[in-house]
Amino acid sequence: MDALTQALVDILRPLGITEPVLQFMLVNAILGISIYLTLYTGMFSLANAGFMAIGAYAGVAATQFLGMPLWLGLIIGMAVAGIISLPIGLPVLRLKDIYLAIATIGFGEVVIILLLNFDEIISSIATALQGERVRIRLLEGARGIKGIPKSTETWMLFAFLALLMFLLWRLHKSRLGRAMAAIREDERAAANMGINVVYVKNVVFVMSAVVAASAGVFSAHLTRIISPGAYGFDKAVDILSFAVLGGTSTWVGPIVGGLVMGALPEVLRFLNDLRGVFIGLILLGVILFLPGGLINPAGVRLLLRRARRALRRRADAAERSSHAAP
Amino acid sequence: MSLLRRVLVVLLIAALSAPVAVVAQDEEEPQMGQWEACADPENLPEVVTIGAIFGQSGNISVYGIPQSQAVALAVNQINEAEYLGEGVTLEVIYEDSAGANEQAIAAMTKLVEEDGVVAVLGPTLSSEAFSADPIAQENGVPVMGVSNTAAGITDMGEFVFRDSLPEASVIPGTVAQATEIFGLEKVGVLYGNDDDFTISGYDVFVAALEENEVEILDEATFARGDVDFNAQLTQLLSLEPDALVVSALAAEATQIIVQARQLGFEGPIIGGNGFNSPAVLANAGEASNGVVVGAAWNIASPDPLSVLFAEEYEEEYGALPDQFTAQAYTGAWLMATAIRCADSTDSADVRDALAAITDFPSPLGVFSFDENRNPVHDPVAQIAKDGAFAVLSAETAGE
Repeated sequence: MDALTQALVDILRPLGITEPVLQFMLVNAILGISIYLTLYTGMFSLANAGFMAIGAYAGVAATQFLGMPLWLGLIIGMAVAGIISLPIGLPVLRLKDIYLAIATIGFGEVVIILLLNFDEIISSIATALQGERVRIRLLEGARGIKGIPKSTETWMLFAFLALLMFLLWRLHKSRLGRAMAAIREDERAAANMGINVVYVKNVVFVMSAVVAASAGVFSAHLTRIISPGAYGFDKAVDILSFAVLGGTSTWVGPIVGGLVMGALPEVLRFLNDLRGVFIGLILLGVILFLPGGLINPAGVRLLLRRARRALRRRADAAERSSHAAP
Repeated sequence: MSLLRRVLVVLLIAALSAPVAVVAQDEEEPQMGQWEACADPENLPEVVTIGAIFGQSGNISVYGIPQSQAVALAVNQINEAEYLGEGVTLEVIYEDSAGANEQAIAAMTKLVEEDGVVAVLGPTLSSEAFSADPIAQENGVPVMGVSNTAAGITDMGEFVFRDSLPEASVIPGTVAQATEIFGLEKVGVLYGNDDDFTISGYDVFVAALEENEVEILDEATFARGDVDFNAQLTQLLSLEPDALVVSALAAEATQIIVQARQLGFEGPIIGGNGFNSPAVLANAGEASNGVVVGAAWNIASPDPLSVLFAEEYEEEYGALPDQFTAQAYTGAWLMATAIRCADSTDSADVRDALAAITDFPSPLGVFSFDENRNPVHDPVAQIAKDGAFAVLSAETAGE
């Protein structure tokens, strides 16, 4: 597996993609799957960054404070995010479209503010209980938790991503997957056909949270430091951009979008401080000219058909003009 | 394009100022690179390459761009003076980190593993340093932070240096002096709790106040971007503190000063590094009288090298340098000095030479590294008077 990774990095190296970059690309791909799940069900949720933060902090708490191995931290991070997502999802998923987006942005902000003030909350409770000023430092607020070992390996990311892709592929063929698509197309029609809309939406929301949390745990063990600021609104929009760039008509889209968005800043490194502008232009170009994203089989088919038709018309015209000529 | 233009401007200025420099050459003229501790190097290759990681895009570019400019200024001077020996040029590969940990990691990996640089300056933020510096440490390449002030940076390993005085070294002196001069007994503490710069300032304030046996009456917090501090200030001032101790960034600092004065508080306001900005004094106006700040560097510093640096930087870029810019400039000179003294481009040799630097004259004052590769030089305790900083003393403190 290591040799395989090495070979891949050797191929990508001329593009400016080193192993750490590849690792963050794979983390992005996992995040892409997380937002794909909700978008596929027709839910415009931006809660992924918040759940990523929850996963990162819970996972790091498990590996750093309790000395657990990474795989156990991963499971704990995912479990904590899943448990928190359920009571959030039940009320919030009654909202639709842009209102759901606003509510989930609010959720992300709440997570960050809680993480920033966690130590103070605990300290003030302890102070009230003991009657004297107590300072507890656990999550370190804005300082962030430092010195996290870099224990995520590239093969783990590949393996995890492969597992997720397999599950996604199976999901599409399952009853739940069909229900998700039906809800996206028309919620009322789906309900009339006997699909439990509330149940399906919440299950999907929890799945999305759990996947985002796994990305959080992995990336926390790559960056060596986690601080609440890294999981803000910017991150939520980044994750959304994976889906926008890759397209959401197939599950491959957001994965490719995540990989490309991870690679772009490094591939464009020669542009220095103009990189941000170019990445923005690329995104804008995709939105304008490839509204279905980079991976959009239906769109490509349509384009091909149009191109073929245009070609045929031109050929007809040429034939006609050659006939017309004496 | 902009790099090309910058190089052309530098060349032009160099060409124009060369005759002037010859005329102005004087025995007493202060100049960088007059540290006599080691002989001229002989074994360096024609081009010595170092890396620099600064946030040149995104919202940290206010710090990152001046930092890369300061490094460029220093490197031009170093090459002009043939500081690394005849015909040896120092080259810098600048990488943008955009304030993101992921990009700092990628930039450090590129510099250390792909470009094979001798040493690295940066990254701008402490959080980026915690992400990226271990890569330099693992590869045995010295890295020097020029604006990392958080605790624990140099604990990452023996290849990690910084020339930015941590809050822990600046604030205790300021608090001790202020306690003595103002006879402080009880204070109120106000701090921003969502930023690692202000919060590490807060940590050190609390420790320093305890050390000087000053009682903390109460603490209040705010978030970055807040504009109304009346609630917190009213609560703190109702306890009648001798002074207000504030850890805030420049934008919030101004409002806190103004609002505290509006509420009738006349005692000293002791600030962290965020207060160390000419803009704070200018924006707060008369209210800023009695603001006490400790700093690693201030543009008002009378040190001749500091004055010279401020002039040269302003001439080159048309803006006044701040503390992080002065530290970036000094950092480039320190790194060049280490390469010069090591007389080698082997990273381990450079590291040893860097660690051995003591009493180096710089804009920051006489500079040394301690055994933990942290900077040692005198910080300045200052008090604001009539819109300008003066060195804090019993005279300047009295009205």
